[in-house]
Amino acid sequence: MMDFLDYLGRNYADIFAHTIEHMQLLGVSLTIAVLIGVPLGIYLTTNEQLASTVLQAASIILTIPSIALFGVMIPILSTIGQGIGFLPAVIALILYSQLPIIRNTYTAINNVDPNIRDAAKGIGMTTLQRLWKVEIPNGMPLIMAGVRTATVLSIGIGAIAAFIGSGGLGVLIDMGISRGNQNMVLAGAIAISILAIAADFGLKKIQVKFSPKGI
Amino acid sequence: MNTKAFIAWVVKITFWVLIAAFFWWTISNNLFSQLLENPDQFLGLLGRHLQIVLISSSMALATAIPAGILLTRPKFRKYEWIVVNTANLGQTIPSLAILALAMGFFGIGIQAAIFALYVYSLLPILQNTIAGLKSVDPAAKDAATGMGMTPAQILFKIELPMAASSMIAGIRTAIVLNIGTTALAYLIGGGGLGVWIFTGIQLFDNTYLISGAVPVTLLAITADQFFRFLQLFLVPKGIRKAQKAAAAAA
Amino acid sequence: MIEFTNVSKTYPGGVKAIDDVSLTIEHGEFVVLLGPSGCGKTTLLRMVNQLEDITEGSIAVEGKNIHDLNKIDMRREIGYVIQSNGLFPNMTIEENVMVVPNLLGWSKEKRAERFDYLMDLIGMPPENYRGSFPHELSGGQQQRIGVARALAADPPVMLMDEPFGALDPIIRSRIQEEFMDIQKKLKKTILFVSHDIDEAIKLADKIVLLKDGEIQQFDRPAELLNRPVNDFVSEFVGEDSVLKSLNLYQVKDLQATLDLPAVEGSPDGKVFHPHDSLRHVLAHLLHPSRQYVYVEGEDGTTNGPVSVEHIEAFVREITA
Repeated sequence: MMDFLDYLGRNYADIFAHTIEHMQLLGVSLTIAVLIGVPLGIYLTTNEQLASTVLQAASIILTIPSIALFGVMIPILSTIGQGIGFLPAVIALILYSQLPIIRNTYTAINNVDPNIRDAAKGIGMTTLQRLWKVEIPNGMPLIMAGVRTATVLSIGIGAIAAFIGSGGLGVLIDMGISRGNQNMVLAGAIAISILAIAADFGLKKIQVKFSPKGI
Repeated sequence: MNTKAFIAWVVKITFWVLIAAFFWWTISNNLFSQLLENPDQFLGLLGRHLQIVLISSSMALATAIPAGILLTRPKFRKYEWIVVNTANLGQTIPSLAILALAMGFFGIGIQAAIFALYVYSLLPILQNTIAGLKSVDPAAKDAATGMGMTPAQILFKIELPMAASSMIAGIRTAIVLNIGTTALAYLIGGGGLGVWIFTGIQLFDNTYLISGAVPVTLLAITADQFFRFLQLFLVPKGIRKAQKAAAAAA
Repeated sequence: MIEFTNVSKTYPGGVKAIDDVSLTIEHGEFVVLLGPSGCGKTTLLRMVNQLEDITEGSIAVEGKNIHDLNKIDMRREIGYVIQSNGLFPNMTIEENVMVVPNLLGWSKEKRAERFDYLMDLIGMPPENYRGSFPHELSGGQQQRIGVARALAADPPVMLMDEPFGALDPIIRSRIQEEFMDIQKKLKKTILFVSHDIDEAIKLADKIVLLKDGEIQQFDRPAELLNRPVNDFVSEFVGEDSVLKSLNLYQVKDLQATLDLPAVEGSPDGKVFHPHDSLRHVLAHLLHPSRQYVYVEGEDGTTNGPVSVEHIEAFVREITA
């Protein structure tokens, strides 16, 4: 125990740097994931058949074990010289984030009370106005819940991405194991857990804030 | 065919073409060569992989289902929220962290891997068992009690059939995650198909990567489909139909 | 027969849910427990099949103290129907109805026969519903199945907790009538919880009006309406209690108090049947254009005339 605290005392700067790296990876991949997933989820509400295909594909992607996905992506991305590193990690995180984000957006928009939608139509809103002023604000809590799930998921998978050279907190576990440094492994595991729990908690708070008053 | 259906069709075909292209590419580049040339080693790794999955998930089933049942009985209901909150928190912890923490306690080896995967599979099953049992209509339980069913009869004839859908969903999540996470067991000396994947990463050898990653993926997808299928058998017809009707109404 | 003897229930903390209730429900009697929410009517009902504990006193069903009986066995001998029907969604209609016979180990043939009988009784063709599931039925049909399920093992005693409360008024009234027909045939001892005075008046042989766990009045519906024992009762039965009570009297009750002569020739007003309710007669007479009505007497005679004054006199008598 003392040993571990001692390790933390000497390496906190290093741990902090890996945490920042981890969050950068998350920031980039989640931003892109939201930019793809939310519009796609909204579009899918207008095309039932496409929705079932896309949701099925996304759910199959989510069943692929992350390390296996990396294993498959290395040879593919090697053909453009990007087999390991930041890019495959970002692509993987975007892919895994799609199901929670698309599904929740799709459900959120679909579940908006038909009466509200009717009322919006009745007072003469255009489709776009309805989307921006009625459907998205009403669906926001559920959409945010999807983003939250995607974030927590990505933190965990981001840790595994360290094995293909993406950096981040997984590096501590990777190096700790190969050097036989228990304290390093422990520090990595605890830091990742705290990051995931904190992100979950923080996004839950934001989710509450995003809910329009009265919902 | 209208435009929307056409788009849906094009996307569907694209997915299949991509999958076909991937397999054509791996086969034409002889990327399954490890698997084809060392079938005995492959079967050994697969056996170990399945062994870890089966042991850890049976242990999880044997603990989580009885625990979920106990925690929804009146006597223990007061502890339920503690367990549910702990399980929620536990589910947030990434799989790699759980493996690493288990290694901290058990050292390197298969025990650490089995223990970590056991804990990791426990939570979704427990959560869904509790959620499923709690969602049982209290009126149905009241009617059952009032008509003279024993607590055991109520559990087996009413509560478990009505909770089956949620419980199987939890088991499905747990086992699919378990199969994938077992691929990481190599890191803490657990063996399994992860051995080839990590070897491939370290040696930058695509034949190892594909021969390890594709079977693990197929295993996870097969398990997922299997439990989907199982749901059709184990969830009582009346409930499945009711769920479908409710979904259609929503 | 159900007998409550000085039954009380006190919650930890001293709140009295039921306060010294003594009550006897005779064989074949239909008794409605009536009162505002929180008066303890459901608690009192649930004490009979031991879903609620009793703090003091005792309850006997068919002459046997329920505490001396095995909880599980005694429940199987009592029919139980609840508001939200409590049908089991995982079971077919036949399985639902046959739950208790199954628990009692009836043979398959006996169960099938009983199912057919019960479905005929509630007016739902057995073959159409045998394999259906509860969610495929309408609310009214589900509640009918709830009643059939309670009747399945032919229990002498039935407990019904607002069984028709969740139904819309038209369906509710139809099911109430159907149920009264069933009760006429089967003569069960029924304890029935309701918060609806109209339902109670319509169905009950006797009404128990409860407030804060205490019996306010235990009487025939007409007595409760016309001779309330205290302010609470008169407020609960409402200002139109007399009008309501006229529903419970028939033309022949009025005839019995009068000596109406037979009329010659054709009467100058509507002729009522002896089984028509007095409320109908009064409603008819209230129209300014009508002064008299007539009633069918024995041997095809037409007797009368009857005027509003006659009904007023009748009301004076029943409320005295």
